[in-house]
Amino acid sequence: MVVRSDSILGPRPRAFARLRTRRAAAITTGVALLALALILGVGLGTVSVAPSETLGILARRVLGLPVAVTWSPSTEAIVMDLRLPRVLSAMVVGLGLAVAGATFQGLLRNPLADPYVLGTASGAALGAAIGVLIPIRFVFFEFGLLHALAFVGALVAVYVVYRLSRVGGLTAMTSLLLTGYAVGSVLAAGLAMAMYLSGANLRQIFFYLLGSLDGVSWQQFFVAGPIVVVTTVAILARARSLDGFLLGEEVAAHLGIDVRRERAILLSLAALLTAAAVTIAGLIGFVGLVVPHVVRLAVGPGARGVLPLSALFGAALLTFADLGARLLGEIPVGVVTALIGAPFFLFLLRNVRTGYEL
Amino acid sequence: MIDRTRQVVEFEAVDVAYRNRDVLRDVSFEISAGERIALVGPNGAGKSSLLRALAGLVPVRHGRISLDRHPIETLGRPAIARLISAVPAASLPFSMRVEEVVALGRLPHEDPIRGLRPSDRAVVAHAIDRVGLGHLLGRDARELSLGERQLVLLALAVAQEAPLMLLDEPTVHLDLRHQVETMDLLVDLNERDGTTVVAVLHDLALAAHFFPRVLVLNRGRLVADGPAREVLSPALVREVFGVDPELLRVARP
Amino acid sequence: MRHLQAPPSGRSEGSFRVRLAALLAAGLIAAGLIAAGCSGASGGFTPVPSVGAGTTAPQTILPASPVPGAPTATPAASQSSAPTATPPTSATRSPSATPAPAAATPGATATPSTPVPSAAAVSYPLTLVDDEQNTVVIKVEPKRIVSITPATTEILFALGIGDRLIANTDADDYPPQVTKLPHVATYSSVDVEKIVGLEPDLVIAGGNDFNKPDALAQLRRLGIPVLVVYGPDIEGVLRDIGLVAQATGRPGPGSALVADLRSQFQAVRDATAGLPHPRTFYELDATKEIYGPADRSFIAEMIALAGGTPITTGSTTVFSIPLERLIAADPEVIVLGDSAYGTTPEIAAARPGWSTMTAVLSKAIRPIDDTIVTRPGPRLAEGLRALALAIHPGLVLPPAPTAGSGATGSSTPPAPAAPAASASAAPSASGY
Repeated sequence: MVVRSDSILGPRPRAFARLRTRRAAAITTGVALLALALILGVGLGTVSVAPSETLGILARRVLGLPVAVTWSPSTEAIVMDLRLPRVLSAMVVGLGLAVAGATFQGLLRNPLADPYVLGTASGAALGAAIGVLIPIRFVFFEFGLLHALAFVGALVAVYVVYRLSRVGGLTAMTSLLLTGYAVGSVLAAGLAMAMYLSGANLRQIFFYLLGSLDGVSWQQFFVAGPIVVVTTVAILARARSLDGFLLGEEVAAHLGIDVRRERAILLSLAALLTAAAVTIAGLIGFVGLVVPHVVRLAVGPGARGVLPLSALFGAALLTFADLGARLLGEIPVGVVTALIGAPFFLFLLRNVRTGYEL
Repeated sequence: MIDRTRQVVEFEAVDVAYRNRDVLRDVSFEISAGERIALVGPNGAGKSSLLRALAGLVPVRHGRISLDRHPIETLGRPAIARLISAVPAASLPFSMRVEEVVALGRLPHEDPIRGLRPSDRAVVAHAIDRVGLGHLLGRDARELSLGERQLVLLALAVAQEAPLMLLDEPTVHLDLRHQVETMDLLVDLNERDGTTVVAVLHDLALAAHFFPRVLVLNRGRLVADGPAREVLSPALVREVFGVDPELLRVARP
Repeated sequence: MRHLQAPPSGRSEGSFRVRLAALLAAGLIAAGLIAAGCSGASGGFTPVPSVGAGTTAPQTILPASPVPGAPTATPAASQSSAPTATPPTSATRSPSATPAPAAATPGATATPSTPVPSAAAVSYPLTLVDDEQNTVVIKVEPKRIVSITPATTEILFALGIGDRLIANTDADDYPPQVTKLPHVATYSSVDVEKIVGLEPDLVIAGGNDFNKPDALAQLRRLGIPVLVVYGPDIEGVLRDIGLVAQATGRPGPGSALVADLRSQFQAVRDATAGLPHPRTFYELDATKEIYGPADRSFIAEMIALAGGTPITTGSTTVFSIPLERLIAADPEVIVLGDSAYGTTPEIAAARPGWSTMTAVLSKAIRPIDDTIVTRPGPRLAEGLRALALAIHPGLVLPPAPTAGSGATGSSTPPAPAAPAASASAAPSASGY
């Protein structure tokens, strides 16, 4: 009985060390990009504000430094009440979508999963459409009925999908995916009907569907931001469970993961994250799909790397996209993310071997 | 050293049903620490179900399963994972390096927040060595041949450092030479590390040659349990497997 | 060899950590809510009506349907306590001359509660209620006005304060010089930042989602007064003129303008009272589907006033009409509201299936400048005249007064009678 002798004792530590330096490099890049996005996002816009004034306003209002006021009140309003909440919201939404996307991809073990895959998009859209049709005035920290119902719609849709999906013959995850598709289709039909009935309010629904960070206020940011952050941290804390699912549910069970419980918890957290993001900004695509893939290319699929890095790069991507949308004449940011994301995705598909089996 | 009197697994009159079909009927046996056992039987005999029940993945309808003298219902998944490692089928949707796959074996042990420690990494490196995959370090696991992938999953189980290892048809995709090498490896793990090994095999010759004890399942019942030479008698081979026992002679040394 | 270990003693630590984390999370969310409360301009729970803190203002009081014609739902007039600048003469407007169901008979319904003295000066700060039930506080007489509807731009010029306009939309085209102003809005968006940068003291916007409500809410949050106008029918437009006049401190010119427009409307009505009212189809577009006026819509009202019987789509929310229905309705006159897009009478007449229509057979297809007919502004009288002439080519109308909304198109010279004079009212349309 001979132990195989063709092993080398050399390079092993290096393999892991390579991973760690890559992760560090990725984090540095992400933080730098995010900082740049913040600076450009607050500094640029349709009204040109001198960089010195921008810095002065931020220093005075945010940091409380006694800077002499050399700018007009309208400039200050532009920077502090229009641009800053919008940029911060873009970061939060981008962060949330990317982390949700990474979580769904890991849970469902499907590289094509995105935050909307279990019916959240259709649920939110239908909720928003109903919110537009119902003539009730509802205000909660500057969220209207549209927002509230979009939030509820997203969560209800996921719940319905979860309850409806049965294991019968299929793995739980495949069943979830297929049920998500079916429920999403039904909801989309409902949405089409609502849009048909809506008449002139169609525009409002339509703009919501395209997704935009236009009109985000500080109030909305302060309500949705903490939810996104807290939920993201909660998912990060479960990175180990997410890793367990990488090779399948059976392996996960053998590795000590309580599959049913962790699946429910992770799904709920990711759905909550998606709902919060969608409530502020409508349906913005591609961020949740592409960012985790790019991150995986750099640092592998381990959740401890993918989740925080997806958060960083998702935030940066959406902030840049929103800046672009603004400068290009306020086109919907979903269009910009698609323009950035789609070619990138094609590039990924061609240069990275992504064949997989279920 | 290993306390070979310690009972690691006990099945007492276990019935397991899957979707209203009985897959195990009145199965009873004991496994002591350090044993090396082959589980054989025709297709559909219930071998995989037995392994699943042993790992606590399917509920038991009658009878009792104990692991380390604890009833299996009282153990949570993390506890079972520290006791049992398994090499089941797996699929990889994402690109992962060999060492990343093997590192998953440390999941039951790793720090929930911080992840792999240097000690974990050392175990992973050691497992890769043990299984002889050193030359595949850094490779994408999806590019490997089926046999190599199987070995990667075996390394994963080794990295898990559990006292009991379950294998479900580990030689299915391997050519003869690699089958033998895998068997050698299992023997080594068993005799050097003291790992208790339970392997489902379809190849009776391998079972007979490498495993001192063989359990034979047929239609959910345990029909034989003992040393290979006794258990794999011509009569049993003819009755349970429905083939001419002469065919078995060819592979035996 | 390892055997089963006791559960890790970290279990109690772990749950402590979990509880701590939950506490921190709750704290963060609570802090966020408090911060949100502090940062709200007018607070989060303001009761209706108030400065619109919610971003879904539009669907509240106004009917959800796009139909501008529902007469009973002109809330600003019926609910406002502030002066609405509509002269009391509106109550005398008789609804008799409008046989078609399209008659929004505004005179019968939207009686304002408090007529404003026509020449009284306006004092600031001024509180108004706009067409979407928002209370608007204007601190000083607006000298820097941003208009984000083309109609408002025209109204401002008609009131004589066009020089106070500092920015408008890219769709504004009258008077011609306004195209040179900075554009702060398009069909689909409002550039809030640009507006803020111009430091206006009043923004006048369009209701019913004409301008994005989100943007208007943002402007309000930043303390810029936003007046929303929405005139779903003729009476509504007149009321809006009064509202704008009131807001900008021009009640006198406002009343005069409204009176003038009313008299012109009345003149058209009188001129067409005794004439047969031909079935008239106002074509909005017919490149693929056929689009025409919805039931009780603005255009339907205009047609009725202009002496025609409007052919409508049969629904208040649908703007398309199947060809069969149009053929069955058999229009006697077709007015091409899409002539600006290149549709000519010849093209229309040549469409398959249209040849049986009376209008085609009698060559009664007439182009028109859609803008003056549909833009809810001071040129509406001009539009009505043009429409009347398109429906009744030989019509004699008294000349438009020189004061008021400007060019009057092809009204015939005071020499009476004579359909001979109809030469000037040739189908080659009026009022471009």
